[in-house]
Amino acid sequence: MENITLAAGIVKASALLGAGLCMGMGALGPGVGEGFVAGKACEGIARSPENASLITRTMLVGQAVSESTGIYSLVIALLLIFST
Amino acid sequence: MAKKKLSPTLKIFLIFIAIEIAIVAFSGNFSKELKIGFDDGKFIVKNEATHFDLQEKITEEFQIDEHYRQIGEIPKIYNSEKIYNFFKTIFGEATAVGTFNLLRMLLIVDMVLLLMAYLIRKKLFTRPSKPQIMFEMIYVLLEEFVVETLGKEKRHFTPYIVTLFIFIWVCNMIGLVPIPGFMEPTRNLNVPLGLGFIAVVVVHATAIKVKGLWHHLQNYFNPIKNPLFILDLVGEISKVVSISFRLFGNVLGGAIIILVVSSLVKFIVFPVGLNLFFGIFVGTIQAFVFTMLALTYIGVEISE
Repeated sequence: MENITLAAGIVKASALLGAGLCMGMGALGPGVGEGFVAGKACEGIARSPENASLITRTMLVGQAVSESTGIYSLVIALLLIFST
Repeated sequence: MAKKKLSPTLKIFLIFIAIEIAIVAFSGNFSKELKIGFDDGKFIVKNEATHFDLQEKITEEFQIDEHYRQIGEIPKIYNSEKIYNFFKTIFGEATAVGTFNLLRMLLIVDMVLLLMAYLIRKKLFTRPSKPQIMFEMIYVLLEEFVVETLGKEKRHFTPYIVTLFIFIWVCNMIGLVPIPGFMEPTRNLNVPLGLGFIAVVVVHATAIKVKGLWHHLQNYFNPIKNPLFILDLVGEISKVVSISFRLFGNVLGGAIIILVVSSLVKFIVFPVGLNLFFGIFVGTIQAFVFTMLALTYIGVEISE
């Protein structure tokens, strides 16, 4: 390891800690949202099995859209890790 | 003795196994540091690299300019020092290896698309061949979506939508080719950002064509007609950001997870399952979602 000053060490450590917190908290919302969408799609398919392909397609698009906040937190975590 | 015929499933499985072994044995990325053979009466597969750092590997894979600045070598893509110095006088210290790789991959994707188009157009049958059936299915499916969203008189948007889908799909799939230096062009932020800008420009051009320039501008600059016009202006920017960062983040996250997991086994196993999920499944879904969102943005502007 190269020698780094105390201030730079504190900045790096807090950036890594922030990246972990950001990823963990950012994954909460998409997890709940995607599970909710999948549960509703299950109910819909059970009620009308003839619409199964349409419901599955809509479910996948909706999940991918609701995933985007998790993706933003991933991008921010990567920025924190690699740019400090 | 009657020869037993192998079932097709088993044949495919055997072909996959053979491809796996060939990849592990002959790929330039693996064979440098990997040792396969007999030692002390046992069959061994081991990685000979003693020093191994995940941070360095990630830097080499995702920030290649930074990597070459740290180790201070001439990048491999420049054959001679003269060319390297010539580029250095233009670009300064940041010799653009990442940009060169990105442009090379985009050219490869374009060549694949042109080759596909040429080969399929050369042999058009009324009783279609298998690739022709596949492409006709993609076209008909997306044309159905366009007609559902925009109406029947606006079906001339179909070629743009189909081109967008096939381009992003090929971009996401080309990262599966196990050749050193191959990467998804969508892993670089510039490609999704450019595609998002094109989508928003198409949206506004369509709106101006349908509603007229004066009516369209009143949505964004007239506080009497639209009191929340600042929010609409911010919304236009966030459209580009959300649509492009979604594609970029999904592809980049998948690539990082594949790299980290294969570093846990010291790069001796090609992670097939992860490539199936993050390469094929997520790549297809994200290409579809990007296309659908661009279509929805156009539809919202038209229907008002």
